Amino acid sequence: MNLLRRIARRIGYLFRRHSTEAEMAEEMRFHLEQRTAELEADGLSAEEARYAAQRKFGNTASIEEQARDAWGWGWLERLAKDLRFAFRQLVRSPGFSILAIVTLGLGIGANTSMFSALNGVVFKQLPYANLDQLDRIYRVTPQNAEGNMSPADFLELQKSSDTYGDYAASAHNQVSLSDPGQPAQQASAARATANFFSMLGVQPQLGRGFLPGEGAAGLDRVAVLSQRIWLNRYGGAEDIVGRTVRIDGQPHQIVGVLPASFNDWRHLGYVDFFRPLAFTPEIAVDRKTTNLQVIGRRAPGVSLQDGAAFIESVGIRLAQEFPEFNAESSWRTVTLQSTAAGSGGVTVMPMLVALSAFVLLIACSNLANFLLARTMARAREFAVRAALGASRLQLLRPLIAESLLLSIAGGGLAIVVALWFSDWAAVRSTGDNGEQVTFDVNWLVMGWAFLASLVTAVAFGLAPALFALRLNLNDTLKSGGRGATGGRGHQRFRQVLIVGQFALAMVLLSGAALFIRGLDELHDRRAGWESAQVVTGSIVLPSGTYGDAEKISAFQRLMLERLGTLPGVASVSVATATPFFHWSDIRKFHIEGHERPPAGKEPAAMVNTISPQFFETFGMRIVAGRDFTERDNATATKVYLVSESTARAYFGDANPIGRRLAPAGGNADLDWGEVVGVIADFQPNDPDPSLVVHHIYVVMAQEPQRQFELAVRAENVAPSALVASIRATMTDLDADLPVRRLQPADKFIARMLYQLGVLRDMLTAFGALGLGLASIGIYGIIARTMAQRTGEFAIRIALGASVRNLTRLVLASGVKLALVGSALGLFGAFGVSSIIAAAFPGIRTDNLLVLAGTTFLLVAIALLACWLPARRAGKVNPVDALRAE
Amino acid sequence: MAQKSELMPGTLDMLVLRVLSRGELHGWGITNKLEQLSNSALKVDEGSLYPSLYRMEEKGWIEAEWRKTENNRRAKYYSLTRTGRKQLETEQANWDRMSTVIAMVMESA
Repeated sequence: MNLLRRIARRIGYLFRRHSTEAEMAEEMRFHLEQRTAELEADGLSAEEARYAAQRKFGNTASIEEQARDAWGWGWLERLAKDLRFAFRQLVRSPGFSILAIVTLGLGIGANTSMFSALNGVVFKQLPYANLDQLDRIYRVTPQNAEGNMSPADFLELQKSSDTYGDYAASAHNQVSLSDPGQPAQQASAARATANFFSMLGVQPQLGRGFLPGEGAAGLDRVAVLSQRIWLNRYGGAEDIVGRTVRIDGQPHQIVGVLPASFNDWRHLGYVDFFRPLAFTPEIAVDRKTTNLQVIGRRAPGVSLQDGAAFIESVGIRLAQEFPEFNAESSWRTVTLQSTAAGSGGVTVMPMLVALSAFVLLIACSNLANFLLARTMARAREFAVRAALGASRLQLLRPLIAESLLLSIAGGGLAIVVALWFSDWAAVRSTGDNGEQVTFDVNWLVMGWAFLASLVTAVAFGLAPALFALRLNLNDTLKSGGRGATGGRGHQRFRQVLIVGQFALAMVLLSGAALFIRGLDELHDRRAGWESAQVVTGSIVLPSGTYGDAEKISAFQRLMLERLGTLPGVASVSVATATPFFHWSDIRKFHIEGHERPPAGKEPAAMVNTISPQFFETFGMRIVAGRDFTERDNATATKVYLVSESTARAYFGDANPIGRRLAPAGGNADLDWGEVVGVIADFQPNDPDPSLVVHHIYVVMAQEPQRQFELAVRAENVAPSALVASIRATMTDLDADLPVRRLQPADKFIARMLYQLGVLRDMLTAFGALGLGLASIGIYGIIARTMAQRTGEFAIRIALGASVRNLTRLVLASGVKLALVGSALGLFGAFGVSSIIAAAFPGIRTDNLLVLAGTTFLLVAIALLACWLPARRAGKVNPVDALRAE
Repeated sequence: MAQKSELMPGTLDMLVLRVLSRGELHGWGITNKLEQLSNSALKVDEGSLYPSLYRMEEKGWIEAEWRKTENNRRAKYYSLTRTGRKQLETEQANWDRMSTVIAMVMESA
């Protein structure tokens, strides 16, 4: 019979226990009655016959016991007995039990929550159909490894769909959204090709997706809402389909609402609504504006490799045919799922999981230490039982039961810790658009917690027990149960555990400290600019109301003028980008006096389109020449400002003022502009370095931009005090125009770096946890040693040792271990810091001061943890201690 | 009554299987049969038959069914399964070999 059926039968017996017992009793009664009847027939009296029958039958109770063994209940009953015994044992030493359970719960809880984050961010499948056929297609350039495609290139790609499959594209931007009776707000919008939703297998929960014809200009005034904005802004109204909303001042009809599953931000970020992507004749030939995120679905039978090779070949063809746009670009294909974690998530998540594993390891060695100490304290009991003939299994059973109980309690606590931690981190990591670290706590994660707990408790509980059982019976009994001081082997074993703990704690703590220090440096870095007195906000002028460059410029002039007269305002400016982060506008330029590079291979620079007073507002320094002025307008000569290092790179040591630049791409006739000033270099707050290093400034009046940042510098007042009056002025200028994130710049910067802040908090938590557990460990071992060596200390004191000598002796033994561990941990710390350095190139991790500080802290904590029990060494009363022997 | 012998450990199962190989019986019936076949020469607690039966049932060598006896009492009837038959053959063969070897040693030494 196979094992499964036997187990099923045993479980069956368990449930039918009552009736099975009854049947057994009936069967035996039948037997006894038959025998009694037979004996009576032989001439015995009824009573005599009954006794004789019973004698022949044997001891019923013992036979029933044997029968239960056959059904596998004996095993269960023994386990229940063991567990009851173990429970009483644990309750009898509550200190140990609580420490062990908390250790397990925290160690595994930290690990479980990281596991659930990894599960939610990296492994959880995107909510799309046919996910294994979906690809993301990147246009790789020297400036951007994950770049987007131009409309003309996308249409070219679409023509070749037979070989690969289907393609869909989306373009993302910020728009203003206004409905009758509601304040205008900015919303994140996307335009998507008509096949976008069907390709992802997403069905709107209300209404419909896009119709094929809606990709045409003029028919594209329809919108599909995300479930999020439908709930938040429209209260989940059932009659939403058919309503009209104003997007960028244009009426649009809502035709559908997407399901909740589409809120998964890992693919597109949070998009409030989608509109059809219309390829007007002029957009269809645009190769310059690379704004399309392209995804593809491979036809069945086309492998990822074949698909990628084909896409690459299209990229190569386009680079050859249109070198002025694509000379430096190539196309790359990755699975859509692999983009879910983001480039940061791929390095950060495994790092966090690894660090939480360190916490777990420290917890494990603590547990091993506790249990070993406990087992050693019972060495005499074990020796006696073994001498009386207990088998090894019988000796181990109560220990296994104890470990089992501890692991169940620890696993339960771990899940509570993990859930709590996940809630906290999810809230803490929520971004402005609602994106957050997703913690997917499912049965898999729960299972992980209990499995990890079980394996930890049983492995680390049994290992020392087995170790203890190797003790020589004779020696243990002879040494009167004080064998615990003797066994040099297990003493060594416990010391190794402590050293290991401190090494791990060192790695954890220094890794966390280095990262936190680097993060703080990054956070406070204001290299070449100031923000303390500045208020910023984002504005997008709707194309409906501000149709042309003249209207944009007129509004900006009026706005700057009005805001400039507000009390407390020192200067005010607009710009497409702040100096806080890298600029996204990357353009290529021809440089006067340089040999003209092949088309498409001109040098690239980050461009910021700014108004006069931008440098004043942000406290940036003009090194040479002049700032932009009001006279640099649409009709005047085209002018540029460059950063100091850009000037050096472009013009060498020559004076850059008066030299000329011209935008690349386009006609043979270059549109030269003049460099009129040089601005000091600055460093943004980005944790990642940019692939483009040059900075060029363009004046807003000459290239008016609809989307820009407003920056106001306060004078004599706190910047927060200006927010209300700025908003009032803006409402006065255009009541339909939302200003997003209008707040002090420092607040904005902190907000933008929040994800790093979450990371910082997590690392702090891990570091503190590791340190705490390691201190408990060393405290435990020193306390235990103290208890064991009381007799020895008594003799030493009796022989004249001073209290100070004894305390030093104990302290030294503990601190030595901590020092060895910390020294070993330093190697790991360097490893961790290099991982952090690789993941966040903008963060400094080579901070020796931090490493020294960490080591000092660790040793100080070890000293304290040892000192507490060591104090007792001096309090040993030799007479009492020796009499107790 | 002849001198009673202790049953060698592990042999009860084999004897029960052998008895059941003639046809199904309830526990009391098996006891009677064993007594009868051994001329009451086996010294064994009658009750210990039952754990042995349950063990073998658990292993799938025998199966049981509640039925009425001729006297209209309810009783549990045991019968051999195919696995049980094979087991009996194996044990029989082992026993034969063992007893031959023991006999050989006892006679020649």
